[in-house]
Amino acid sequence: MSTTTAGRPGKVVASDRAKAENRLGLKLVAPAVVVMLVVTAYPMIQALYLSLYRYRLTTPDDKEFVGLSNYLTILSDSLFWQDTVNTVIIMIVTVAIELVIGFAFAMVMHRIVFARGAIRTSILIPYGIITVVSAFAWQFTFSINNGWVNSWFAWLPWIGPDTNWFGEHWPAMFAIMVSEIWKTTPFMALLLLAGLSQVSEDMIEAAKVDGATWWQRLWKVILPNMRAAIMVAVLFRALDAFRIFDNIFVMTRGAQDTESSSFLTYRQVIEQFQLGLGSALSVLLFLTVLLLAWLIVKLFRVDLAQARGEG
Amino acid sequence: MDGVRRGLAAAAALITASGLLAACSANADSGKPELVWYINPDSGGQAAVAKKCSTDDYTITTQVLPQDANQQRIQLARRLAAGDSSIDIMSIDPPYTAEFANAGYLADIPEDLQGKLKDQSFKGATDAATWDGKLVVAPFWSNTQVLWYRKSFVEKAGIDMTKPVTWDQIIDAASKNDGKVAVQANKYEGYVVWINSLIAGAGGEIATDTDKGVDLTLGLDSEAGEKAAGVIEKLAHSKAAPPDLSVSQEGQAGATFGSAQGAFLTNWTYIWTNYDSTQPEVKKDIGYTRYPQTVAGEDSRPPYGGIGIGVSSHSAHVDEAMKAVECLTSPESQGINAEMTGNMPASSAGYDYPALAKIYPEDLLQLFQDSLDAAAPRTVTPYWSDISGGIQSTWHPPASVNSSTPKESQSFIDEVLHGKRLL
Amino acid sequence: MNRTRNLIGTWVGFLLILVWCLLPVVWIISLSFKGVGETAAGSPQFLPKDPTLQNYKDILNDGDFLDALRNSFGIALIATFLSVIFATLAAYAIARLEFRGKRLVLSLALAIAMFPVVSLVGPLFDLWRTFHLFNTWPGLIIPYMTFTLPLAIWTLSAFFREIPWEMEQAAQVDGATSWQAFRKVIVPLAAPGVFTAAILTFFFAWNEFVLAISLTSTTKSRTVPAQMSYFVGPDPFNPPYGQLATASVVVTVPIIIIVLLFQRKIVAGLTSGAVKG
Repeated sequence: MSTTTAGRPGKVVASDRAKAENRLGLKLVAPAVVVMLVVTAYPMIQALYLSLYRYRLTTPDDKEFVGLSNYLTILSDSLFWQDTVNTVIIMIVTVAIELVIGFAFAMVMHRIVFARGAIRTSILIPYGIITVVSAFAWQFTFSINNGWVNSWFAWLPWIGPDTNWFGEHWPAMFAIMVSEIWKTTPFMALLLLAGLSQVSEDMIEAAKVDGATWWQRLWKVILPNMRAAIMVAVLFRALDAFRIFDNIFVMTRGAQDTESSSFLTYRQVIEQFQLGLGSALSVLLFLTVLLLAWLIVKLFRVDLAQARGEG
Repeated sequence: MDGVRRGLAAAAALITASGLLAACSANADSGKPELVWYINPDSGGQAAVAKKCSTDDYTITTQVLPQDANQQRIQLARRLAAGDSSIDIMSIDPPYTAEFANAGYLADIPEDLQGKLKDQSFKGATDAATWDGKLVVAPFWSNTQVLWYRKSFVEKAGIDMTKPVTWDQIIDAASKNDGKVAVQANKYEGYVVWINSLIAGAGGEIATDTDKGVDLTLGLDSEAGEKAAGVIEKLAHSKAAPPDLSVSQEGQAGATFGSAQGAFLTNWTYIWTNYDSTQPEVKKDIGYTRYPQTVAGEDSRPPYGGIGIGVSSHSAHVDEAMKAVECLTSPESQGINAEMTGNMPASSAGYDYPALAKIYPEDLLQLFQDSLDAAAPRTVTPYWSDISGGIQSTWHPPASVNSSTPKESQSFIDEVLHGKRLL
Repeated sequence: MNRTRNLIGTWVGFLLILVWCLLPVVWIISLSFKGVGETAAGSPQFLPKDPTLQNYKDILNDGDFLDALRNSFGIALIATFLSVIFATLAAYAIARLEFRGKRLVLSLALAIAMFPVVSLVGPLFDLWRTFHLFNTWPGLIIPYMTFTLPLAIWTLSAFFREIPWEMEQAAQVDGATSWQAFRKVIVPLAAPGVFTAAILTFFFAWNEFVLAISLTSTTKSRTVPAQMSYFVGPDPFNPPYGQLATASVVVTVPIIIIVLLFQRKIVAGLTSGAVKG
């Protein structure tokens, strides 16, 4: 233990101490870095390599170097773009709705003085529940034979006992998004709650005294002061929503054109054994996620270092 | 630093220990070879015959594959491609037989056993198990579909079911009398089973020249293809279409058939015992006849399903496994399996198993056998999963099918096969 | 007037949240009491017509499911334990030490947090076969550590940053040995953070599906989310819905227990990791 305490940063450190600290720091992060790289680095390199080949697992003799043509095939294919559009729609719609509902939840949780434990417990259940289970629950909810949506909402003009939610594109997308929103809103609400607790009550009171309406206080005082929290929540959720897989796998298996980019990749690599094309899709998927992260960070000027507590 | 090192050592020890623990449980053999049979999940039939066929020389143990046929194929193919020797025997769904055989995953079946199996099995079963002129899996159980109908409905509608019926007739009859025609039309393999039978029933074939690999000849864009599309289009736009048509698999179709509007159902053999415990009143109302005709006057070609048993070419005990397969697929084993699971034998000798006559009426057993002899297996080609996937993409949902669907699907599948399109 | 309106608003919000969060859970519990006959014939009503315990009996007599449950617990607990140890070391270094490559480690963690799991399943399968890790506990434990480390490091370094480390020195000055000072002062302060990271990691490992279905092949290592596609009922072509629902309820029970016991810590952990400035 003595060496551990020796690594404590002083204000002015001798170069020996700095070196020792450097070494200790590297030793401490090494195990985590190794575990993270073992599982991701080699597969990524292999995916890059395989993406240049026409290669199918069940016909290995036909393996052939094709350069970038897999990428060309994918980028000129309507299915790829359709699935990308689906994924983007799911991402934007779910994150937007979660932001609104999550904020409302956060407001209630912030205000509430009674039953805090009960509300926190119940909000954490969707967060902790297995996605596959959530997908099953919602699939049954919308099921034409075994679901309650059709009978409970029969008073709506476009819903009847024979409404087949998974029979058409938009209703199926709707069901998928409901499951996704249900499961992940609590996460959003908790991040926003943290942001909300940082808005100073004094400022809100001052605005109140100045005669600002509730709406004005919300837009002029509360929201601007929790911008960092909102941005971090959006970043996390957007990247997560972009990788949507389990819900679609369970609910529609991609029927009615509800496929996402992750699902397309899964189908090529795992179901079709198309290692070449599939690897190219994997690479594209990863690049898209990186691009997305970069866009969100740049556009919304999210300061991750600050958000994480890094000075 | 000691603390860190100790932590790491403990971590490493834990990982190793959990690995060893897992390894230990697998290696409890006593010298007698253990043949591992990967089976599709069932209600115990395969486990029972595995026990029966274990001898003093080897023990057959079973490992269950996922419920979904496509997931079964994925699990097996990935491991076989990696040269896994822990699979000895496997239950294979017909559409993937050729793919496995072509990739060299299946050990050759000895000539004499091939001959014996060909002699005992139904023609449909032999056709589905043959690739490149050789029998590559041993037909174990064979499934086929018949047309199930509700006697009360047929009586009300006044239809004569003693003569062969066509799709047109049953769709019209159901539409007029507030009944439903239940089929499998979700976006999955079962929908292609239906399409295949419709095309074969019109004298067509989804693909020929399968020895040319990806350059095989597609037969979707043909008169038979258009006839098939016509039936689907007609049903999807008629009042006889169940509301869940585009998501219905065997179970949903069975539920529609059991409901108040149930009229006609095309489904596998298990339907006969499906309502025994849950809806006995429906069971009493079930009638059955040959699968409907696509074209009036032309014999229907019922679907073929089932399981063939193959031996892995990476198995360390190929000879023992072949002996085991011979026992597993004997007519008696087929009968035991059929009694327990409702998955009917692949041979007419299997149908002689006494217990079956107690469960099924004699004319139904005869209908199953006649259907199996006339059945049209899906095209045997290593590229079936591409063809099937292409059909699913272009023919689903059923309501989108029209006269141009066959042509579009043919050119789409052609591009997929040549790696020009994503599936 | 304003106060009562606020109170009513909060109450309504409270009830809405409860319904939103719990309705699907109640629904799946209700499904688990519906018999095979009821779901097969179609039963759109919310509550079971004829509640039965048969599904629970079936599930608890299903050896494969119990194996899967054991695997899930074992794999999730070991992955959590190791991941938290590694993350604690790394987070301590990041929060307390100056060393080269710190930013690199953080970027790596961030990149991995965003990694689409689907894109590495194929190569990982081949790699695991080569190292005989396919269908073993470590074969799942290792990737689960990989994907939980970023969040754990993230949460823990935020926690450690808040700890007033000077107190440790102060205790030493008061005559405590460095071990005593560490144990009495730092451990109690760091424990909640470690604990939170552990719960989040456990949730992830307990939930994971894609890797579980791709990297296992027998009940030796298959976990519950993957085992759910192996259920078979009297109808060979459809999974038995009642059993699926029952299995869902069974695997949700540990989650509910954890949430009931530790909700305060989970909330604190989730919020502190992300927004503290």
